[in-house]
Amino acid sequence: MSAEKACALVKELHRNQGTLPPYNNDLVNEVTKEITQLIQENRNDAQESERSRGSDLLEGVSYISTIRVRHAAIQRNLRCLLAYHYNRVRSLRTMRWEFGSILPADIKANLSTAETNWFSKYSSILAKYMRSVGEDGGVNLAVDLHPPKALYIEVQCLVDYGRYELSDGSVLLLKKNSRHFLPRVECEELIRQGVFQHIVI
Amino acid sequence: MDAVNNSGEDDIDINIDDSDSEEIPLTAAEVIERMEEAWLNEKFAPEILPNKSEIVDCLLGQISYMEENLQNLSSNDFQKSLHQMEVDRLRFIITSYLRTRLEKIETYVFSIVKNEEERSENNQLLYLTDNELQFAKAYKGSLEQHFEELLRFWPGLGPDDWKKDPVVPNMSSFVFAKAKSAVEGVMLDEANDDEEALVDLQSGSQIIISYNSISQLVKNDEVCLI
Amino acid sequence: MSLQSYTPNYFSIDDILASQERCPCKFIVDIPKLGRLNPSAESNDLKAGTTLELPMWLAEHLSAGRHPIIAVELPRIYKEAYREILKADACAVDLHKLGLYFYEHGLYVKQFDARGDVSKILLETFQVRFRQLMDLANNIGSDPAVQDRLDSLERKLFKEGHAARTRLNTWLTDSGTPIEAAAMVINHKKRKRVDVEDII
Repeated sequence: MSAEKACALVKELHRNQGTLPPYNNDLVNEVTKEITQLIQENRNDAQESERSRGSDLLEGVSYISTIRVRHAAIQRNLRCLLAYHYNRVRSLRTMRWEFGSILPADIKANLSTAETNWFSKYSSILAKYMRSVGEDGGVNLAVDLHPPKALYIEVQCLVDYGRYELSDGSVLLLKKNSRHFLPRVECEELIRQGVFQHIVI
Repeated sequence: MDAVNNSGEDDIDINIDDSDSEEIPLTAAEVIERMEEAWLNEKFAPEILPNKSEIVDCLLGQISYMEENLQNLSSNDFQKSLHQMEVDRLRFIITSYLRTRLEKIETYVFSIVKNEEERSENNQLLYLTDNELQFAKAYKGSLEQHFEELLRFWPGLGPDDWKKDPVVPNMSSFVFAKAKSAVEGVMLDEANDDEEALVDLQSGSQIIISYNSISQLVKNDEVCLI
Repeated sequence: MSLQSYTPNYFSIDDILASQERCPCKFIVDIPKLGRLNPSAESNDLKAGTTLELPMWLAEHLSAGRHPIIAVELPRIYKEAYREILKADACAVDLHKLGLYFYEHGLYVKQFDARGDVSKILLETFQVRFRQLMDLANNIGSDPAVQDRLDSLERKLFKEGHAARTRLNTWLTDSGTPIEAAAMVINHKKRKRVDVEDII
C-alpha cells in the first residue's frame, strides 16, 4: 500500500550506482501484482458506490477517499517501476559507449530479455547515426573522448589479448605485462575497454 | 601551427548560410574558429542549440583532405606529426560537439522531439539535423516500446505522467558568457519586481548570468558561452 | 555523461527517495477499508483523527485539492526547536543524522508551512554551510568526520567540488591526464575480482 516494494527497486539501483545489478524479476512481478490488485479494488469500490447511489439508501458508504488513497499508491508504484526500468536502460546506454556493441557475458546475464532487445536496438540506432555524419562513411563518436596531448603514448598490456593489427597493416602480439609505444589513436579504444593501461611518467 | 593553411587552400569554396541569409565565404581558420565557438556554446548551454551542420560538414571535409595529404608524407617527416596532431585536435572538437548534442537529445528526448515538431509546423528554424531528428525519434520509440512491453500486465493502463511532464533542461542555470558585440538592455532573470533589472553588455565583456536571460543572444551569435 | 535536470524529473532516483521521507499527517475523514495503513490498530476502517507518519508523495496527494483528506504537520526536524539549533550554528549540526535528504525533503515540507519559516531556514542553513563545504572540497586531507555530517545534496556538491579540485591539481602539476578505462569497465573488473575471491 505504501509502495514499499516499488521503492525497494529504486533503492537497489541507488545502492549499485556505476554498475548494473541483476534484473530483479521477482520484485518487479510483486510490484505489478500490487498495482493490479489496487486497480481491481478501486474498480470494485467504484461500482459499489455507484450501486448504493442508485438504490438511494442513506447507509451507502462513500469510498471516494479510499479510492483516492489507492490511486495515489498506483501512481507511485508506476513511477518507481518506470524509473527502475528507465535508469537501467540509461546504464545500458552508457555501457554501449564504454564497452562497445558487445557486452561481457556476465553483464549480459544481468539483463532481462526486453533489455537485451533494447540494447541491440540502441546499438543499431547509434551506429546508423554515426554512419550518417559527414559525407564519407561517417564518424566514430566513441573514440577521441579526450583532447589529444601527444601523438604517441606508452601503454602496458593487462591481458593476453593476442594479435592486434595496426592501421598501417603491421601486426603486434599483445601479451600480458608487455609494454608498447603506440600512436594514441590506435590504443584509445583498447584502453577504454581495459586491455591496455596508459602509463604516464 | 595551422595545418590547414599549409594544405594549399586558403579560401574554401563553402558558403555558410548566416542568419541574415547572406552568403559569406569563410577561410579555413574562420571555419575552425566557428566550430570551436559552436562546440563551447553547446557544451555550456543547458538546452540543445540550433545545429551547425554546415560547419561540421565543412570541417570534416577539410580533415579528410588533410589526412589524404598526410598519407603522402614520409613518416619520418617532422611536419607530419605536427599536422597529425592538428587533425586529431579538430576531430576531438567535432566528436565532442556531436556527442554533447546526442546526450542532450537522449536526456530530453520527449521535450526535444515535441519542440522540434512545433518548430516544423510553424515553419521556424529547425534545431536538429535530419539525422539527429531520426536518431531522436528512433530513441524515443525504443523507450516507449520498452515501457509498453513492461506495462502489458494491465492493458489500457496509461500512466502518461512521464509523457505529460517530460524532463526539460534547467534553463535558469548559470553560465559564463562573453559579449561578441555590444548588447543593450539584457533583462535579468527573476527580476519581475524590479524594473531596473537590465544590464548592458560591452563588446568583449564577460558576465555570469542565468542562461534564460541570454539564450536568444547565444542563438543570434551576439554572445558566446565560455 | 551525467546530464541531470533539477526541474521535476519523473525518473529521478534522488527525487523518488527524497519523497519517500515521512511526515506526520492527521486524517480529517474516515477512510473505509484502509485500516491497514495504521499498523497499530486492527479495525477495518481508518478513523478520522488518527495521526500517521506518511511518505511525502502520499501526504502531498491527499492534502491537495479542494477536499483534502489529511492535514499535514511539520516533521520535527523542521519545527522551531530544531530551527533554533540550526540558526545558532548550522555548521555544527550533523545534517546526515537529521535526515538523508534534509534539503530535498524540506523543499516539499515548506508548502505546508504558511509562515515561510522552513524555506527561510533551508536557505540560511545552506548559505552558512556552503562556505564550509567549499573549504572541505578544496582541502584534500581534511577531517573525514565532517563529511559524514553532510546531507545527500551537500555530499553530491562535495564530490563534484572535490573532483574538480583534483582535476585542476593534476592539470597544474602533470603534463596530461592519462586515458582511463571507462567507469563501468572498471566497476566490472572490480566485481570480477570479488567474485573470484568468493570462490577461493
